[in-house]
Amino acid sequence: MKHRSAQSSRIFTAVVRQHRIIRPRYRLLTLELDAKGSAAFASVMPGQFVEIDAGPLSLPQDKDIPAELLDSAKRNIMLRRPFSFSAIRHKGNKFEIDISYHVVGPSTVRLTTLVPGDSLNLIGPLGNGFRIDQSRPIAVLIAGGMGAPPIQHLAAHLKSHHPDMRVTAFIGARSLDEIPFDIGTDPDGGIIFPAFSSVGVPHAMTTDDGSFGVKGFVTQLVEKLLVPGPFQTDKAILYACGPEPMLTAVSRLAAKIGVHCQLSMERMMACGIGLCQSCAIKTRDPQAEDGWSYRLCCKDGPVLDGKDVIFD
Amino acid sequence: MTEPNLSIEFAGLTLKNPVFTASGTCGYIDELAAFMDVSALGGFTTKSITLYPRKGNFTPRIVETDAGMLNAIGLANIGLDRFLREKVPLIAQYDTAVFVNVAGRTIDEYVAVTERLSQEKAIAGFELNISCPNVKKGGITFGTDPQQVETITQTVKKVAGAKPLMVKLTPTVTDITVTARAAIAGGADALSMVNTFTAMVIDIEARRPILANRTGGLSGPAIKPIAVYLVQRVYREVAKLAGIPILGMGGIRNASDAAEFLIAGATAVAVGTASFIRPDCCQSVLDGLHDYCRRHKIANIRDLTGTLQD
Repeated sequence: MKHRSAQSSRIFTAVVRQHRIIRPRYRLLTLELDAKGSAAFASVMPGQFVEIDAGPLSLPQDKDIPAELLDSAKRNIMLRRPFSFSAIRHKGNKFEIDISYHVVGPSTVRLTTLVPGDSLNLIGPLGNGFRIDQSRPIAVLIAGGMGAPPIQHLAAHLKSHHPDMRVTAFIGARSLDEIPFDIGTDPDGGIIFPAFSSVGVPHAMTTDDGSFGVKGFVTQLVEKLLVPGPFQTDKAILYACGPEPMLTAVSRLAAKIGVHCQLSMERMMACGIGLCQSCAIKTRDPQAEDGWSYRLCCKDGPVLDGKDVIFD
Repeated sequence: MTEPNLSIEFAGLTLKNPVFTASGTCGYIDELAAFMDVSALGGFTTKSITLYPRKGNFTPRIVETDAGMLNAIGLANIGLDRFLREKVPLIAQYDTAVFVNVAGRTIDEYVAVTERLSQEKAIAGFELNISCPNVKKGGITFGTDPQQVETITQTVKKVAGAKPLMVKLTPTVTDITVTARAAIAGGADALSMVNTFTAMVIDIEARRPILANRTGGLSGPAIKPIAVYLVQRVYREVAKLAGIPILGMGGIRNASDAAEFLIAGATAVAVGTASFIRPDCCQSVLDGLHDYCRRHKIANIRDLTGTLQD
């Protein structure tokens, strides 16, 4: 008897429930997954992603496209784009997911036209998310720029599934305008970030230009706060997502102070499911003759052990 | 009307239908099997296998263009030994004609891979990759020289045993009928066409090519009309008379695209880049071809091949 594989439940439809502008170029999309998608999401982990097909969406009018994107973002698109999620909620017997995105190119420009009730075709959840290391209950979360969404999801996940862990988040952005999540105020008028404060995760913020929080890179702040303290390195772990220079710095910092780290990587992907082989990441491989081999960001990652990743 | 018969005769094999996957866009089989019933396919072409594992090119390896994409993966693959150990047993579980795409730097490497795999019952046949534009040695350097096309086809055919050998042609030549003739003279049992078109995308800020390999192969809907034209030409001028079937490909996204290739002269069609966007695309092409045959009262889809009117 020959094998017949079942139709995949990971290709499904989601309906837009909410679509908000967070900053001029940052938006938050709330999607309700259909029954198939909700079933596929039953055991989703922070750091996994979905591939969204924005191909069928129309372009906004020119006046609604950022001027510097008028050329590049108006070209035709064909491939899906990978997005992680910043939150996931039960809604009856279905799941709702939050996707924050930065308007940077032809797919995200098209996403801006979505209104509640519109539907999208998704594939997911894909890849390997963060693997919660229970033997290391001191969790230090580090995010840079658009690396924030999976870190928000991870913060909420750790607080709800591992309430005994000590979780702290450090978030960096280029400037106040580039913070990809909501900014609120506490009763005393102080600025808070509901993504972290609502789940009880203490957090600190840096901006490259000093327009908000501590001026500098987020990794500099992490190093300043972690290194001098009485820090039980064997009980701690860094979970990070952000641009590659930030991940490089996290990996170096982890090696320097002797803690484990998990890094959520990013590569250009055509498919997200291991078909195209385009999202190769250079990793250590003792079995390879020259000590390294490629792993695929989509299937082996996007979250990899920091000690395995080779940054050139 | 009775249900249309989608089965075809292809290079000595009877296949349940004319829909294949295209090499390099469907993994070794298990990756795609997670998203569709690959046993529903007439044929499956694996990603390229070389004698030794290949890491492939540096990244970025892909870039999207209007109506297409460039890739320069560089034949990244696990090599013959691991393919035999890990993938052939998986392939044996599926009820479809699996063609292994064979690549190499030297003719000896093509021979070694084909000879070893010719003993594997799970493998239906071979596709000779002499048209990869993204490697320095082998690939397209064999595929653009008619003399070399004939020699390599002849040499590999000798070790393929009873299994059919399909030769994948590059469109990056002045006259594709010349290389098609050379492949047939060398003993090719089928032609697959076309591979990608060598192309470039430039980052205007950095004034550098986007791909680490500088150039890549253009695929997707952008190349479809050119591929249809080339299939039609090779069919009329070479393949029809020689009685050699064509596996047509290049930008196929749906049954209408597939029907164009069949009418142009292809006996079977392969879905490539479209599987990246819809991993179950082959299934919808198959369903759509079934509907097309019903609508046009075509009892046997094989009768559609080469029916282009003058």
